[in-house]
Amino acid sequence: MSSGTTTIRPAALAGLRVIDFGQGVSAPHCARLFADYGADVIKVEPPAGDAARASGPYPDDVPDRERSGLFFFHNTNKRGVTCNVEHPEGRRLFLELIGKADVLVENNLPARMRQWQLDYPTLAALNPRLVMISITPFGQTGPYSGWNGYDLNAYHLSGASARYCGRPREMPLEHGTFSADYFGSVTAAAWGLAAVFGRDAVGGGQQVDVSCAEAIAAAFVGGQNIGGLAQDGRSDSRTGVGMPLGAPATILPCKDGHVWMLALEPGQWKGLCKVMGDPEWARLDMFDDMYTRAQNADLIYELMRDWLMAHGKMEIMEMCQAAGCPVTAVFTVEEAARHPHLQARGHFVDIDHPALGRVRSLGAPFKLPASPGGPHSPAPLLGQHNQDIYGGLLGLPAAEITRLQALGAL
Amino acid sequence: MTNTLPLQGIRIINFGWVWAGPVVGQTLGFLGAEVLKIESRARIDMTRNLPPFAEGVPGPDRSLSNHACWAGNGSVMVDLKHAEGRELVMKLIAESDVVIENFGPGVMERLGFGYEALRAARPDIILFSMPAAGLYGPLDHVRTYGLSLTSLTGLDSLVGYEGGPPIPVENAYSDPFAGIFGGFAILAALHHRRSSGQGQHIDFSQQEAVMQMVGPAYMDYALNGRSGGPRGNRHPTGAAAPHGVFPCAGDDRWIAIAVGSDAEWAALAEAMGSPAWACEPALASVAGRVQAIDRIHAEIAAWTRGHDDRSLATRLQAAGVAATPVLAVADLLDDPHYRARGTFIEVRHPLGFDETLYGGYVKMSRTPAVVRPGPVMGQDNDRAFLDILKLPAEEYQRLKESQVIY
Repeated sequence: MSSGTTTIRPAALAGLRVIDFGQGVSAPHCARLFADYGADVIKVEPPAGDAARASGPYPDDVPDRERSGLFFFHNTNKRGVTCNVEHPEGRRLFLELIGKADVLVENNLPARMRQWQLDYPTLAALNPRLVMISITPFGQTGPYSGWNGYDLNAYHLSGASARYCGRPREMPLEHGTFSADYFGSVTAAAWGLAAVFGRDAVGGGQQVDVSCAEAIAAAFVGGQNIGGLAQDGRSDSRTGVGMPLGAPATILPCKDGHVWMLALEPGQWKGLCKVMGDPEWARLDMFDDMYTRAQNADLIYELMRDWLMAHGKMEIMEMCQAAGCPVTAVFTVEEAARHPHLQARGHFVDIDHPALGRVRSLGAPFKLPASPGGPHSPAPLLGQHNQDIYGGLLGLPAAEITRLQALGAL
Repeated sequence: MTNTLPLQGIRIINFGWVWAGPVVGQTLGFLGAEVLKIESRARIDMTRNLPPFAEGVPGPDRSLSNHACWAGNGSVMVDLKHAEGRELVMKLIAESDVVIENFGPGVMERLGFGYEALRAARPDIILFSMPAAGLYGPLDHVRTYGLSLTSLTGLDSLVGYEGGPPIPVENAYSDPFAGIFGGFAILAALHHRRSSGQGQHIDFSQQEAVMQMVGPAYMDYALNGRSGGPRGNRHPTGAAAPHGVFPCAGDDRWIAIAVGSDAEWAALAEAMGSPAWACEPALASVAGRVQAIDRIHAEIAAWTRGHDDRSLATRLQAAGVAATPVLAVADLLDDPHYRARGTFIEVRHPLGFDETLYGGYVKMSRTPAVVRPGPVMGQDNDRAFLDILKLPAEEYQRLKESQVIY
């Protein structure tokens, strides 16, 4: 394993113990952020395992709950136990873990947590210093809190898709990834860690209730739309192009893919024209500023086509950037993964996993020079650390663990 | 509940501008930190002049979107072109815990606020830098806009209709995403400082932060060498079907339906009236449904088309199916869920108008966020120069008249 660091420096969140009682993406990713920066994160899975284990990508698309790329990515640096909280003995063990934890991260629907009698009041009575981070599509309160939901539902409930992505009159789009889950995860990590940091100042732990839909509706969509809606009834909708008020400002095809074509300020437009060889059409008055260019956007995009189709995206990006124009190539995932910039920054780490072999994963999401972070240990196999945690941390004798296993409590 | 917020006592100087940097300050401000945003009339942030304006009257203290995105930050006016202005800010930094900036690499050094200079003023200072692609590396000076930065991560290559070209996301998702994420990074550094006494210079590359969102597609590349592409609203790893957005009655009305289990599929089929096509045994398993996803989606779309989005969602939810209306901006204020959670709030601005912005979008059971209007330019000047720096009144007056404090 190489993490790009040679000296051992203390991790930023060393000393915190986090229980990850989540599945899928949002809560596991949030708990992994704590694990990336040195918290001791214990993943508690139901006997059948985190639902992410039933999802690919798998090597060669062969399903195997120990070889899920989705599970791997969100669970590095964690130790894992199985626990059946529906069994009284399993629930008792779970509560013992909670008694030794600073943070619980979970993303179960609220009704499910109540049904298991693992709601916040119950857990707070046991451990008043616990910070319980609950990440759900809709949140713990409000008329939709009882609804069933996934990432897709949360994203489309936020207003983000109808406002910002897709062609008019065609289906509004999410990003092609778990955008709502990730937004909820980082939101929960920030607010949750603040709750931990301020525990002494505020007199104890608390529940941090994150609705993925609400966080996006507020901080992404709300920021630039809610004031105008409330005051003037103004409500804009997606256009299918990048920026309807200026041009060029959209994604355009080129010889080998696509570029994000942006040239708004006068200097940027001048730079782009120079790169294109100062074509005669660009000298027309109607292309003088970004607003009049926007009124003629379709024409501009048509006139640029020949030049774009004659050049590759990396070449276009390089020439435009050198001319002061903020054009970028639309990287494929492979191009991002192989880009010399990210290589030079040591953004990738090799991790050995018992079932997957050596995996090159993404490294720390940000660099803390005094207390480096990032993945270094593989995601746990199902129940891999049952002995370690139940024996070591909770002090159960091996025979007791075997008994609980046989009972179906683990 | 208490009146004390978790980050009470933490003071932050925020050089952040436009969107991402101010959101970092906002996140920590909502949580109780004192955030002093440094700005100046000599170079007013462009977002302060973005319409729509309060009561339709233009002005740098009246932009409604600016107020929503910046609320939680304070405002201290200093013209950094003046050496005296830079000295004042350095003195404020000496009395602070954290400095935030979202310039390009090297700008802080040129202003005299490089990490070493800050450390000389305050040895345990935490400097948070969030350039587009990090502080070093071949692309460290790459020029991007917030909405195109994501093209450097592979994310944009995944957005679009199934099998079609990439479709641009028309605003910078990465700005609030990286802004809030940055709050976590700073808190991690504060945690480290509490145990070690050490500050540090955080290198927060927005590119790398957004790459977290590409994780599932990246893993398919790492494990299988595949690069992915637009899939519409289908499940990102193909692990669920149906999984999409379907048309409803009315203009631009849609419903999002995701089926994550066989039981949910059975419930959906029954809600649709158990049509023959939905009762095929092959569709009872997720593998069979993923295989037949085109046909399933076409059938569902034909069925949803005549229904009202909200009443259909309510009906499907009653059956246990994860269905939600696709909301437009116009729906947000009146949505009963957001109303019940106080997602959007009306506040009285010190200049005398009412404005609507977003409130504490995370509900903290012990310490609910307190959200005030967007910062009036210079609202915290007295606080900064009289309370914190304890400047004599005549000196403060002189600095204002000479447009150092400006």
